[in-house]
Amino acid sequence: MLPDWVTADVVGQLTRGTILTVAITMVTGAAAFAVGLAAATSRHEGRGVFRVLGTAFVEVFRNVPALIQIIFFAFAVPNVFSASARRNLFFDNIVVDAVGTVTRVPIPYYLVAASLALVLNTGAHLAEIIRSGMMTVPSEQVEAARSLGASRFAAWRTITALGGVRSAFPAISTRLIHHLKNTALVSFVSVPDLFQVIQGSINKTFRATEFLVLAAVMYLVLSAVMTIGLRAIENHLGRGLEIRRELGV
Amino acid sequence: MSDQLEFLVTNLPNLLWGFPGRRPGGLLMSLLLAVVSVGVGFVVAVIVGVGHHSRYAMIRLAARSYVWVIRGIPLIVLLFLSLQLFGAGIVTAAFVALILYSSSYQADIIQTGIAAIPQQLIDDSRLLGANRWQVLTTVSLPYSLRVMRPALEGQAITVFKDTSVVVVLGVADLTTNARIALGGDVKNSSYWVATYLLVGTIYFLVAFGFSQASARRAARLPG
Repeated sequence: MLPDWVTADVVGQLTRGTILTVAITMVTGAAAFAVGLAAATSRHEGRGVFRVLGTAFVEVFRNVPALIQIIFFAFAVPNVFSASARRNLFFDNIVVDAVGTVTRVPIPYYLVAASLALVLNTGAHLAEIIRSGMMTVPSEQVEAARSLGASRFAAWRTITALGGVRSAFPAISTRLIHHLKNTALVSFVSVPDLFQVIQGSINKTFRATEFLVLAAVMYLVLSAVMTIGLRAIENHLGRGLEIRRELGV
Repeated sequence: MSDQLEFLVTNLPNLLWGFPGRRPGGLLMSLLLAVVSVGVGFVVAVIVGVGHHSRYAMIRLAARSYVWVIRGIPLIVLLFLSLQLFGAGIVTAAFVALILYSSSYQADIIQTGIAAIPQQLIDDSRLLGANRWQVLTTVSLPYSLRVMRPALEGQAITVFKDTSVVVVLGVADLTTNARIALGGDVKNSSYWVATYLLVGTIYFLVAFGFSQASARRAARLPG
């Protein structure tokens, strides 16, 4: 028998919130991985200005709290513009409307801004992790590939990037699971994710303890599922490694 | 432009150590939250980290569950839970949540450090007549803490940045004071970007400064 605070309305809201949390985690997680890979490459391979830019990006977005970045992009940036320009640029245009149609979020700009902040923050953290993975790849391997006629890009893709990501994958997984929990911060800028829905339900039913414990359990379940998924990717990336190790290549 | 600067200069003391006539807050509060939760969390973490390697299955299970459960819950949820369950004020709730949070991450690091101790070292100490407690306090812990020091310092910096989340409870830290300084007044809306850039810079300077110091110290040490 379900307790009386579990109404159909609550279940529907929680389902929508959970879907949004999962969607934000996957989309911004994938984007953050791409950003991290790009920044790691530019620090690892790049010279001069690329290297400096990569380093500056990583240090700035890693050392400023994620919440400050979220508030900055969501609440602060639109305030630079006059009221009418603000509406056209941030709250009432084709892109924002499209996001709103797909996600059915009341103020889509806040979702876009919070997602951007999460991508930059997690991207900077992942860049450091991936770069340390790239540094474990022996340079002889890259040289061997180049002398066999591989282009610079092919050598980067098959050896530096793949090898770096593979060796850093446990740390990448840990960070991505942390990223899942970081998405709860978007509730602070009125994005109706899982935690925002939980807070809304508390305000309606005054069942704070029940809903907060439920939130904790749901995030634990989501992290557990995500851990399993990431482990599958890790195993996939590591396929054949044992054989190659035995052959000594 | 000059009014922007004036706003920032007027509010800088409020951001750094709090509003006049109120309890100290701002960056001072953020640092206090970080130092206490890392310090107290460290003591908890040592106990939990050692518990990971206990002889007794129950203790191992308890230590592992502690880390898994608390690390699996977002800090923002932990803060509200702490306020709800312990019924104390917001500042106490923030300290409790941050201690739990920081201790679970530190425990995981310490546990890894203990697992990395060469078995030979432990066997040798046992052979020389040390009991398990002596091995723990004179060999295992000092060794693992030295190895794990950079990781623990990195975690401490993360906790400092994460103290910003206490704004959800309204604890008067750096982030909350920025919100109070800006207020709900529409005429302040032009100061939002500058204020949050300043707040971000303050967090950056502290976090980056500590991480550079930590990296430089680690580079100086042999091995």
